[in-house]
Amino acid sequence: MQREVGTLPLAPVLRARLAAAGFQTAQELLDTGPCGLSKEIGISREEALEALQVVRQECHGHARTAEGSSSTRKCTALELLEEEQSQGFIITFCSALDNILGGGVQLTKITEICGAPGVGKTQLCMQLAVDVQIPECFGGVAGEAVFIDTEGSFMVDRVVDIAAACVQHCHLIAEAQQEEDHQKALETFSLENILSHIYYFRCRDYTELLAQVYLLPEFLSEHSKVRLVVIDGIAFPFRHDFEDLSLRTRLLNGLAQQLIIIANDHRAAVVLTNQMTTRIGQSQSTLVPALGESWGHAATIRLIFHWDNSQRLATLYKSPSQKESTIAYHITSHGFRDVQPPAVTPSTEGTELNPRKRPRTEEEKQQ
Amino acid sequence: MSRDKASPGVSQSLLFSIPVAMVVLRAGLCPGLSEDMIQLLSANGIRTVVDFVSSDLEDVAQKCSLSYKALVAVRRVLLAQFSAFPANGADLYEELKSSTAILPTGSPSLDQLLDSGLYTGEVTELMGAPGTGKTQLCLGIAASVSLGLKQHVLFLDSTGGFTASRLYQMLQAQTEDEEEQLEALQRVRVERVFNIYEVLRALQELRDRLSQQVVSSMGPLKVVVLDSVSAVIYPLLGGRQSEGLALMMQLSRELKTLAREFSLAVVVTNQVTRDSSTGPLKPALGRSWSFVPSTRVLLESKEATREKCSTQRAASLAKSPRQPTGIQVELDIGNGDVLDPSLVTPTQGL
Repeated sequence: MQREVGTLPLAPVLRARLAAAGFQTAQELLDTGPCGLSKEIGISREEALEALQVVRQECHGHARTAEGSSSTRKCTALELLEEEQSQGFIITFCSALDNILGGGVQLTKITEICGAPGVGKTQLCMQLAVDVQIPECFGGVAGEAVFIDTEGSFMVDRVVDIAAACVQHCHLIAEAQQEEDHQKALETFSLENILSHIYYFRCRDYTELLAQVYLLPEFLSEHSKVRLVVIDGIAFPFRHDFEDLSLRTRLLNGLAQQLIIIANDHRAAVVLTNQMTTRIGQSQSTLVPALGESWGHAATIRLIFHWDNSQRLATLYKSPSQKESTIAYHITSHGFRDVQPPAVTPSTEGTELNPRKRPRTEEEKQQ
Repeated sequence: MSRDKASPGVSQSLLFSIPVAMVVLRAGLCPGLSEDMIQLLSANGIRTVVDFVSSDLEDVAQKCSLSYKALVAVRRVLLAQFSAFPANGADLYEELKSSTAILPTGSPSLDQLLDSGLYTGEVTELMGAPGTGKTQLCLGIAASVSLGLKQHVLFLDSTGGFTASRLYQMLQAQTEDEEEQLEALQRVRVERVFNIYEVLRALQELRDRLSQQVVSSMGPLKVVVLDSVSAVIYPLLGGRQSEGLALMMQLSRELKTLAREFSLAVVVTNQVTRDSSTGPLKPALGRSWSFVPSTRVLLESKEATREKCSTQRAASLAKSPRQPTGIQVELDIGNGDVLDPSLVTPTQGL
């Protein structure tokens, strides 16, 4: 193993001492052994043993993954394509938004929703927390949701309304289609079940938020059905009383990397909401997402919600596979919806269901 | 390459040498170096090859009560083993001419900006604000190299932004043959590396594989893309510890050695930051990183077309060893269709 000592994940003090003693590659460390090592650089036997264990893991870890590990970190583009094509999306019940996103909120990616207050970010988050649980036979991913709330804007009554509307919608589809697996799925898709599968965490400042995110992988390995992690209000804890801006950038970047790891390893969609701030240019001021330039790189997909007179609009600002576009949406008592009902197409009689259709259209069709 | 700039007389008088590295003395490093010898030497403060080679052997022989002849023999072997030979400028130039290749990026206007394409043996950097198309260009390069040149590409993804369906879309726009598309997809190898140690490990493994010339699914590798380098380094920089800078320099060394030794074209993407909220954009990672890439391209979205949600971008050359900086071209990051290259009058480079 010709791995250089400087590239191993050891403590900086240890690395400095090893460099001063003249160790260059990991192989030399392993050859020296713990006794020789502790004598050479003046550390205790236990520390030397620990360090050697880390080195051994690093060097031989790659041999293990080469045999094929469960986390597909290495693959060809063809395998990735097959994986992506078989992956589901989390629908938003607004077909226009689903269309510009390419089918819905993507799993294994970070989606950021920015917008002024009151435009509907938390509403969409609550809608997604319900939609992720839609059974597979209705076109959903049948997962659970983790909701991390920093602003305290999570209203359970509202979630109850949204969930009830979603359940009713699925009932209507089941009645129209009359297939067995629909009836079976509906037995488990009830209001109590939906609410019990949304894991809610309340974080009051940035330390709690960071701790929660860094502890999340353990939680997710226990609850392996989680397919959505929502952080409602990632800007809030970082915008107050932060004197050291470079510390903030570092923490945010570390947080972003941790979220990407979670999204990738657990095949979950991560949704963040962000606030807007004003950037004052030479002649005019524009509204831009908060938390600075470097935060803009954290999310893979960025949606900006804004107003146009009294119409709510959503713009896809950044995406790796979809073009930029703007659509209008509506927030009703049932939740996040389209502005008008989408055109009724005869292809809904086919095998593939379209749960994006609003309940009213189904009723009209039945009459 | 058909350029012939250096005159033979000048290059022959240029000598290059690489400094010898510090290696700890160990028994068996060379014949004649026994364990007892090492104990005696280290008792007198000679622990590494450099210490040994640079010390006065008569002095050492007296202090350690070792035979002078034995020490001289050991020194000769160590020097032969560990020091580098000075190289002749003309030889280096010839070697460079025969091993460098210029790879087309799939976008003629970008090729023009880069002086006909990506040069192997060098690190090229693409930088820009979020949403300006860095990942799209990287995907375009991967598509062009794997389909057009039938070479392998290694894509190190640290942001989760690699979307295989978008790569497939680009391939479909370039060729109709389905088999070719699938073959091209198989030549692109993706590794997800989310922190600096994983990046270093992946590069190290690549180096091992290439130096052992393992004929595996790797194939003839020509391009390594790291998207993005700032995502893995940003969490380490700043603050009171300086290890972030050390790791950044380690990474830059790995990338440059890979590019040089194995004739690869290395492409990295970087962010841009501002000094204050109204200052001009500048590349992230600071001055130390700015010496690493030989070529830097800045991507910007054109202000006027922002509202119309277009796929037009402006690319300008910020640093290049061959072209004047400040050249600007227009790019379309849509379906691989490219505009006619339009050279704008050179503006102030970064």
